[in-house]
Amino acid sequence: MVETLNIELPADEDRVRSLRAGDLVTLTGEIVISAGLPTYRRLLSQLRHGIEPPLDLHGKALFHVGSQSEQVGDEHRLLYLNPTTSTRFDAEMPELIRGLGIRFAGGKGGLGDESVAAMRDTGCVYLSFLGGGCTLLSEAIRRVTGVFWTEMVSHYRLVQVEVERLGPLTVGIDAHGESIYRNLRERAGARLPAILEKLSRERATGRSTS
Amino acid sequence: MPISYQLLKSVTSRMYLRSLRAVPADAKKALAAAQARETDGVARTTLDLMVANARAAEERGHFLCSDSGVPTYIVRIGTKVTFDGDVKRAIRDGFAEVVATSDPPLLKHVTNPLTNERGYAGKDMPIVTFDVLDGADYVEIICSPKALGSGRWAALEIFTFPSLAEIEEYVLKVVLRAGSQACPPLVVGVGIGGTFDYATKLAKESVVRPMGQSHPDPVVADMERRLLAAVNETGFGPMGTGGATTAMAVHVDYAAGHGFTPVAVCFNCWIDRRTRVRISDDGTVSETE
Repeated sequence: MVETLNIELPADEDRVRSLRAGDLVTLTGEIVISAGLPTYRRLLSQLRHGIEPPLDLHGKALFHVGSQSEQVGDEHRLLYLNPTTSTRFDAEMPELIRGLGIRFAGGKGGLGDESVAAMRDTGCVYLSFLGGGCTLLSEAIRRVTGVFWTEMVSHYRLVQVEVERLGPLTVGIDAHGESIYRNLRERAGARLPAILEKLSRERATGRSTS
Repeated sequence: MPISYQLLKSVTSRMYLRSLRAVPADAKKALAAAQARETDGVARTTLDLMVANARAAEERGHFLCSDSGVPTYIVRIGTKVTFDGDVKRAIRDGFAEVVATSDPPLLKHVTNPLTNERGYAGKDMPIVTFDVLDGADYVEIICSPKALGSGRWAALEIFTFPSLAEIEEYVLKVVLRAGSQACPPLVVGVGIGGTFDYATKLAKESVVRPMGQSHPDPVVADMERRLLAAVNETGFGPMGTGGATTAMAVHVDYAAGHGFTPVAVCFNCWIDRRTRVRISDDGTVSETE
């Protein structure tokens, strides 16, 4: 059984830098989520124009996670949340990580090398959510504390939500330049010649040809 | 007795919801087998979470994944079957009913490719393909909602007189490109030969084939076994954070064609969303998956 660390948010740089790729964590506190590419592009465009985001993201967690909400009077209720593929945001994330000063990025599937470098430089980690973990991940929802850009469809909005023991999530990229995704991609690439060689041997001696 | 519009509508809408809320029995079995085999701690925890999420979603009637994707249906119509009402309209109206009544509600994933506008309806939605079953007195329907996570990494390449080695290398390269992004452990579908469109149809129909059924041709069955072991040696593991289980199954099919040989590869994520139903001409409905 792998130990799971519970992290209280907001977490300071030392705490974030103490995490290592492969650690399992749960999060308690406020996170900000959006699965919309137009959302991240808008954040980036505003950052470049010196426009403050609609909520302060400095030191916060900003995740590639979509959500469905319903509005009852003035209150937003979050019905569920779930991650989306982070590599869709590869072009925007390096500058956003540096410019917004976020401590946690995340979603599923990892981010590219420029984001890894940005996380190392600024003290930020990437957390991998269970794709298709909607039912269990949504159990962590406590209350919505802010919804921004409501003219967008539900999963594109910036939603600030208080969660309790969200996860477990895997540290996929740590603040020391270590990326599980890069390591696995490189390892798989390095193994490919041996895998192909084995396939050729098995093809030659397989049942079908015996 | 003809199969009615109303029956088709209610059956296909139910299939869509079931695909969102339950993992097929064979995929559950494959996940359990992976749990028993996996030695990496994080991979084991991830598999445990997958199995727990599948159970919770089924018990609570909740979605496993927030990406309900686009509904796709494969409809195989027996030639002895008769219909009372429009078939395509029944499926479209069934999806509209799901959109209107689903609890929890669906997110807007149906996208106009020309404007990127999101909604629930659009041209050719749901995506339905038809085939004919000579002599059969039933309709077989497979519903397979397709989300971005696994849908994004499908690929097609057209080779000229390729060797089996070249075909298998291509499949592996597509798997490496998908890497951690397609929500492994995956089901991999491969279609070889025919034409540009037919190879992709073979890949899609292979990916929804029940797990544990090898291809009847021993050459293809061997290729499936070889490729499954090869995909698992890549080491991406559950959710692509490392481990021994990157795929639960590799399903291959082929068709004769010309010397230009298309090879299509597609994926289902660990949830392996698919539901299969037969409706007999007398209106009897049996859920086979």
